[in-house]
Amino acid sequence: MYKLIEFIRSTYVVVLFVLLEAITIGHYARSTHHTRARLLAKATQVVGAGHQALAGVRSYFRLERENRELLEYAASLQERLACYEVLHDDASAQTVPLVRAAADSTAADGADSLRTHRVDSVGPTLGDKQYRTLTAAVISNTINKSENFLVLNRGIRDDVHREMAVLSTNGAIVGYVVDCTERYAIVLSILSSSFRTSGKLSDSGYFGQIYWDGADPHTVLLGDLSKYADPQPGQEVVTTGSLFFPDGIAIGRVLDARLDETGTTYTARVELAARLSGLSHVVLVENRDIDEIRQLLKSDKIHP
Amino acid sequence: MYRIFPYITLFAVTILVQVFLFDNLSISIYFAPMIYLAFLLLLPLDTPHIGLLAAGLVTGWTMDYTMGTDGLNVLATLPVAFLRPWIIGFFYTREDPREGGIPSAARFGQVKFIRYLIVCVLLHHVLFFSFEALSWVHAARTLLRIVVSGVASVYFIWLTARLFTLKLTVRV
Repeated sequence: MYKLIEFIRSTYVVVLFVLLEAITIGHYARSTHHTRARLLAKATQVVGAGHQALAGVRSYFRLERENRELLEYAASLQERLACYEVLHDDASAQTVPLVRAAADSTAADGADSLRTHRVDSVGPTLGDKQYRTLTAAVISNTINKSENFLVLNRGIRDDVHREMAVLSTNGAIVGYVVDCTERYAIVLSILSSSFRTSGKLSDSGYFGQIYWDGADPHTVLLGDLSKYADPQPGQEVVTTGSLFFPDGIAIGRVLDARLDETGTTYTARVELAARLSGLSHVVLVENRDIDEIRQLLKSDKIHP
Repeated sequence: MYRIFPYITLFAVTILVQVFLFDNLSISIYFAPMIYLAFLLLLPLDTPHIGLLAAGLVTGWTMDYTMGTDGLNVLATLPVAFLRPWIIGFFYTREDPREGGIPSAARFGQVKFIRYLIVCVLLHHVLFFSFEALSWVHAARTLLRIVVSGVASVYFIWLTARLFTLKLTVRV
């Protein structure tokens, strides 16, 4: 008996170590990006204020660059808006003649009526828009892990909730919200091994899967691209309309592409349009219809 | 228990620097120095084995909590804490480590101290980064991360050790 106690006394540290290590490995093996986001959300409630203060200092030094980028983005939006304004003016000036033209049903006015139709179709969606946006400041951000999260200074009280899309200030994809607390939101960055979304070549419409291989914080991969797609360097890659992301959000530009061994699919390297390492502000986008679509997907008629 | 206050300060400072500075660096995917190991590596030589294990658990858990890594840090710090007495024994055979004092350049000699840091940091980083990657597909990249972050960690821990022993009279 004494010898047994003596034996336990001499080896209990080893036993304890093996036990603790085994428990930890077991716990780690079961973790997913959701449990990690949950943990990070809890921690942010404690250290969030500190991060926020530091983020304030950092963002002060980035103000100039950020201002420039915002101006550039505002200019590009202005340009796009101008196109619509021209269309709108054309449309209102030609409404009366068009009515007449429609009565005459002459083929010559076909092009104009098409344009009028396009402006009209934009109108209703502007009034009751599907997407709601709000801005947020990034208070913590990493790029050096295999799963990277951003912490934003908006939470449930700002009506932020899970699965909102997160875009950079120049309108490019950054990630989506995976968890929220009262004051903060945790975003799964596109630079995460578990991040998946679909992307397409904007001009040809061929689509594939967007994912990160952990190699470079400036590029992601566009896999499963059809062999007929023939991606060329410089081609723009945008989102396909998915549950989280609106259609046509910029992802980046193709750097290069190679055919897989089987010769059936391309994998393209895509240079991200958003600079993940220097984000200080982001735009949150909510799809108002997401619940309705979810309900529909769950409906008994689809899964009898 | 002597020097309990300096050690609490060391713990708090390394954790804060880790959380607010190093975990927020968006420089490169290869650069992730872990200064928080300094607390574990600078504990007195006569710390009981079980105490080292507890310290490893606490530092690892604190980092897991703040980094949101679900056990990854504990997984890497526990073996370092557990194996520390043997690693020290390997480099420091002059006399019985039981008599106390801090692992430091003044006590071990500069070269031996740095070797001690390298071995411990390497052990930690190998576990940390390979478990984080969880695949051998990117083995070369994981290796590069271990090396780059390891060099940075050893440097910062060495710097911390210098600052820490500057104020304390080291028993050589």
